[in-house]
Amino acid sequence: MSNNRVSRRQFLGYTLTGVGGFMAAGMLMPMVRFAVDPVLQQKGAGDFVLTDQRVEDITEEPVRVDFTFEQTDAWYVSEVTNSAWVYKEGDKLIALSPVCKHLGCTVNWAGDPEHPTQFFCPCHAGRYEKNGQNIAGTPPLGPLDEYLVEEQDGYVAIGAVRPNTLV
Amino acid sequence: MHFIGKDMDQYLSQKDYVDTAVVPLLQLDLSEAGLKSSAGASEYLQSLTAMLEKQFKGRILLFPPVAYTKNADRNRLSDEISSEMEKAGFKHVFYMTTDAEWRSVEELKNVLWLPAIPTEHMDRNFKQSVMEDQLRQVLPLFLKEWS
Repeated sequence: MSNNRVSRRQFLGYTLTGVGGFMAAGMLMPMVRFAVDPVLQQKGAGDFVLTDQRVEDITEEPVRVDFTFEQTDAWYVSEVTNSAWVYKEGDKLIALSPVCKHLGCTVNWAGDPEHPTQFFCPCHAGRYEKNGQNIAGTPPLGPLDEYLVEEQDGYVAIGAVRPNTLV
Repeated sequence: MHFIGKDMDQYLSQKDYVDTAVVPLLQLDLSEAGLKSSAGASEYLQSLTAMLEKQFKGRILLFPPVAYTKNADRNRLSDEISSEMEKAGFKHVFYMTTDAEWRSVEELKNVLWLPAIPTEHMDRNFKQSVMEDQLRQVLPLFLKEWS
């Protein structure tokens, strides 16, 4: 038999301290969590949408990159897939919106065999230079919009749309 | 453009450019056997026309699907719709449908009949690529009509 026997008083003391500790922690932990919550808040990378297009596969030739995000239209949430024309200028990534500035059709790179280095809108034969500059004499009145674009872990991520800064 | 209030303002001011109407024709079959395939065809038709609208937003006006039942008189239906389209002044009118009966309606021009593909079990990416394939078959028909 052991010599240092735990007395009844000691046993109750230990037990109450232990249980009380858990109860106090149960009350305090959420409070502490709420207090430091702003610090833990995830910033997100702007509102960039990651695509599955590798940056290293992008050349100076624009390629279509699709990206999907959730859109809330009043009570109706839907997944929307948009695309961008992405190419490299030197080392800089450039993403142009495919929405024609005339009436909003989707433009295609080299869509017109006669102009293989331009964006072409099939609706009313609007054309744009590679940097999005609209070609005078065709219906569009302004350059293609540009997306904010960045590289995330080797993949293209596409952000908000803004007016063209290249022309 | 969609047949919604916001797009109508633009349509009215750009009527010369928006010269093509797209009317989906949709058969409702609510019998127990046909319900599911009818719904699948509806889903297919609506996603396809929505993608088409996105591509050609500035030149087509996409109407809501015209729904009718199995025994509907398709000749009468086509007369009514096409005369309304004519009144509105569209130069080109396309009818898109998955209902094979329309192939026997002679008077209606530009009926694009497509066999519905059930997309309900596909994952999002696969569905997207299947629908894009379908769209690619339809686009040249529009370009040909316009040229």
